[in-house]
Amino acid sequence: MEIIGPAIVKAAALLGAGIAMGIGALGPGLGEGFTAGKACEGIARSPENAGLITRTMLIGQAVSESTGIYSLVVALLLIFTA
Amino acid sequence: MMQADSFLLISAYLGAALSTGLASISAGIGEGYAAGEASKALAKQPKSGDSLLRTMLISQAVTETGAIFGLVISLLLIFGGAGHITGSWFKVGALFAAGIAMGLGSIGPGFGAGYTGGQACSVISRLPKESNMVTTNMLIGQALAQTDAIFALVVALLLLYSVPNPTAATTLGQFVVKISGFLGASLAIGLGTLGPGMGIGFATGRASNMLGRFPHQRGAVSRTMFLGAAVSESTAIYALVIAFLLIFFS
Repeated sequence: MEIIGPAIVKAAALLGAGIAMGIGALGPGLGEGFTAGKACEGIARSPENAGLITRTMLIGQAVSESTGIYSLVVALLLIFTA
Repeated sequence: MMQADSFLLISAYLGAALSTGLASISAGIGEGYAAGEASKALAKQPKSGDSLLRTMLISQAVTETGAIFGLVISLLLIFGGAGHITGSWFKVGALFAAGIAMGLGSIGPGFGAGYTGGQACSVISRLPKESNMVTTNMLIGQALAQTDAIFALVVALLLLYSVPNPTAATTLGQFVVKISGFLGASLAIGLGTLGPGMGIGFATGRASNMLGRFPHQRGAVSRTMFLGAAVSESTAIYALVIAFLLIFFS
């Protein structure tokens, strides 16, 4: 059964890639959506600050996105190098 | 030793159960939220009953989509999937994974679409004459949230119908790797659409609410809604890419 050892490592890496990307996408998706919702509120209430609010929303979302990109990188590493 | 066919049936039936079971959770809660908000709005503004009922029903129909996808995959698994395939061990993992992908993948969009519907109903009672514009925006928002359920449907259908047959020389090790890849793909897309589905739903729900209160800001608010929803969608697209990689290159 010597063929099973490396196969189980590879299998665990693939399963891990799926879990990493799946759970890793939870936070950024929720957080960015929350940001967008609050930005819509802000723009509706004070449309004269639309540019400022949109800029802040995008910067906040970009920071929030970073953990999603970490998950993507880890998933790709697990698929292709493990 | 049982034959692959028996395991195929076990896997297909388990997947079918999980697909509809998980997909129905958020559709039920989301539609209940919309109905609750509509009832609350009706108490405040009994005269706009007709438009409230219409908006509530439309929003519930769109929220139901995810559960219907789950039902379709379940029916395919019960009647269309396993019966026509014989002896393919890869399919044993793929059928179960298809059910998981569709079931988990419908949870986020259901919550999101339900929240948007509820917010639209609640604002219609404040400014009934803008009900058409709010309903239109709500539909667009719910469609954005349901995109994630469609991603999950695509992955589930790929797992059902595009899994190659193993060659005679396939070893137990290759089998274990392949099946883990399928399960990983289903978890990636299933869990990966949870956050974006709910997040987009929150964004579009707040946007619908604000459009009903400040109808003159329509352009700025919808623009921000689209932009924010698109950024929020990006993580779901990462999850879709990972799922494709896991299905086809594992």
